[in-house]
Formats: sequence, structure tokens, C-alpha cells
Amino acid sequence: MRLLKRFLTDLGSKYEPGKVVSINNKRFTSSIKPPVDFPNLVYTGTYLGQNRERFEPSSILLQLLGVELNTHKVYVDRETAWLFVVSKNVFEENIIKSVGLRLGGYVLVMYEDFCIGYGRYETSHNRRIIRNLYDIGDFLRREQE
Amino acid sequence: MDIKPFHEIITQLKVSSYMSVKEWFINRYRDMGSTLTGDETTPQSIRVNPLKTSDTELIQTLTEQGVQLEKIPYLDHGYKVLSSPFSLGANLEYLFGFYSLQETASQYPVQTLSPTSLDKLLDMASAPGGKTTQAATYMNNQGVIMALDISRKRLFATENNLERCGVTNTSIHHIDALNLPDRPAFTKILLDAPCSGNFVTDPYWFSKRTTQDIARNADLQKKLLSKAINLLESGGTLVYATCSLEPEENEFNIQWLLENHQVKLIELGKAGSPAVTDIGDIKLDSQISYCRRFWPDKTGTQGFFVAQVMKP
Repeated sequence: MRLLKRFLTDLGSKYEPGKVVSINNKRFTSSIKPPVDFPNLVYTGTYLGQNRERFEPSSILLQLLGVELNTHKVYVDRETAWLFVVSKNVFEENIIKSVGLRLGGYVLVMYEDFCIGYGRYETSHNRRIIRNLYDIGDFLRREQE
Repeated sequence: MDIKPFHEIITQLKVSSYMSVKEWFINRYRDMGSTLTGDETTPQSIRVNPLKTSDTELIQTLTEQGVQLEKIPYLDHGYKVLSSPFSLGANLEYLFGFYSLQETASQYPVQTLSPTSLDKLLDMASAPGGKTTQAATYMNNQGVIMALDISRKRLFATENNLERCGVTNTSIHHIDALNLPDRPAFTKILLDAPCSGNFVTDPYWFSKRTTQDIARNADLQKKLLSKAINLLESGGTLVYATCSLEPEENEFNIQWLLENHQVKLIELGKAGSPAVTDIGDIKLDSQISYCRRFWPDKTGTQGFFVAQVMKP
């Protein structure tokens, strides 16, 4: 829970996941009432993400945070969005609009109404960037594994 | 149903080698009324995810990107891809979970089962999860889906698909469905059974299939069918599907089901052809024609078979 809470706080989110179910390093919330108890549960209900070096959010959680008014966000165009989902950083000049952006802070990266990942606003080689910390292109990378 | 005659035929085939395995299978399909050549293919198709978008919105977005799509008349949210300037498995809308790549015929079983938000659905062999996510759309992410698979590796794909498509009403268990206790707890069951596959989706199919594989699969499928019936509530429905063209895995299994369990076959319509009831010298229950067969030459899809039964 610690990494998940820190992740939510860093993004300015007020989201309360309620009772969290842990399956190995994965976190879920679930109101599913199974008609029968089966063993070897590997996934249940709403997948929130997993603990790795830092909390790695699911795309389901990212969408929930993306529609939340409080969260820090930057908006980008389609071309920048595509570069972001193939693991690239976002250059400051490609940010169309931002909410709660501050140097050293964490932001969701949005394309229109859809959250495509998150990153940290920082300086690299004298340029301001959103450093890609997680993006939904991870699906494609996982599919290739 | 005894499949020994087929074994005998394939043994003779190996001895005499007077025809290739491909010819043998094609002749067999022709004996069942098809006009297959063995060279049929299936175009790519997609299924729109109504949990995340509408058909109209998605089609407009993809059309603006140069994708040409054609509605598949007998599917609720299925579209054939006529052309696309990019890979449809790698664009933003795919990552948003707005659609899935799902072969045309394989969209039919869940549509047939048509689960609702009140159902307790068991998906007995769920990986890689395309049909599970499709079921969740019919249930509007409510009710319960319990998705199982024997392969942990393949279940990772199911997990990814559920996440990408925004499915939240499903629990996944890494378990062999045959090991489940016999307790009638489900209102709907999908048994998309492990099968021999078909040549349309596997270019090496003819070079690696034997009748022994088919017999082995048919045996497993019967066990899974029995288990499914034991897990189904009274009044519940089971959809059984395979992507095999072999009668041992399809019509013969349904005949066996009718002979060994109290079930009522439900007549299916709209897609494919009626299942075959005269196969060589074997005459099956005429009700088996209620099931549907997708002959690739007639439907432009992969080979497929779908049956639906109700437990009284």
C-alpha cells in the first residue's frame, strides 16, 4: 500500500481505493462475489497496478486518475502521445496545456481525455522534459515477451 | 462416438502414401459437404469494445486514419479489415482498449451465449482472454466472470487483455477446470475447448496433425463437457466452441453429450451452416443440425463450431 499511496499523493490524487487485495506484487480492488471459491487466484476485479522499483499503475487506474480534477496533468497532441507510448520523454515545447505542473513533480500525460502514462517534470541536458516513468505502450512490450 | 475408422484410414494412408495428409483431410471435409481447397484464408477483423467507446465513434476515428472496415452482418460489434495503412495491433486506440483483434468466427460463441449483468459466468479455458473481455462487454462489467486456464503463461495474456479493455468484473484462476469440484454454481458457461485448430490460421496445420491428436482432444473435450454440465445451474446455458473442423471434436461430442447428460440443444442461427448429421456411415441425432459450423470456403472465416445447450 505504501508505494500505491505515495504514487497517488505524488500525482495530487484524492482517489481512495478502499480495500486493496494483494496478489503477489499486484494490487486490486474487488467487489466480486464469487459463486464458488476456486484456488490459485491470479487476478480479480479492478487492477490497480504493481509494486516494482516504484508503483507501476494499471491503465485502469490511470484512466480513473485522468478524469479526476485534482491530479497533475499535461496534455499533448497525437504525435507526441505516440512517441510517449513508445517510451520517449515529452519535451516541454510539446505540452499543449498543463495542470499542477512544477519542476520535480509528477504528472499524468494525457491525450485528449485519455491518460497514456505518467512522468516527472525535470531538466535534462538543459531542456525541460516530462521523463517517461510509465506508459500504456507497456501492453505491446508485454505482448512481445 | 467411435473414431476408430479414421485411425484405420490414416494408418493405411501412411502405408500406401497414395495421397498427402492435406488431400486426406480435404477429402474428408468434402465428404461432409464442404468445397474446401485447403488454401482458404481469413481477413483480419476487429471487435469494438462498447465498455470504452461506441462503434460509430471508433469507426469514424479509424476511417479518418485511413482504415477501411466492413461491418460483419451477423456480429454485434465485429468488422472486417479491408485495408489499413498501419498495424491495428499497435496504435493509440488499440492501447486505449477501444477494440480488440479477434477473428470473425471466434466472436460468435460469446454473442451466442449473450451473458447479462445478472449472470455468473464461468469461462473454462479463457486464455488469451479475447472471449472473456467480449463477455464482460455483454455484462456491462457487472455480474461475475470466473476465468480459468491451465496455462499460467497464457493467463498473462488474459490479464493484459482485461486491463487494456477496462474489464473489472472478472477473477482469473490458474487451475485446470477438470479439477473443480462438481457444484452447480454458474448460470452460464463458456467452454471454448482446447482443440486441434484448423489450417486457416495455421499454415503448418496439415504437416503436424494426426488423427491421434484429434482423438486425444476429443477425449479431453468430453471430460470438459461433463465437468461443464456438472458446474451449470438448472436452467443455465452452456456454449461449447472449437476452432476445429473435425467432427470428432464437434458433432460427435455433442452426440455424446446428448446421450450422456440431461441437456436440451438450442437452435442457433444467423451465422455459418447447420452442423453435419450424416458423416460417412454415421447418422447423428437430427437436432445436432441446430449447432453451427463455419466452413472457411463459405464464410471466409477460420473453421469453427458452436453449440449451445440448456440444462433443464
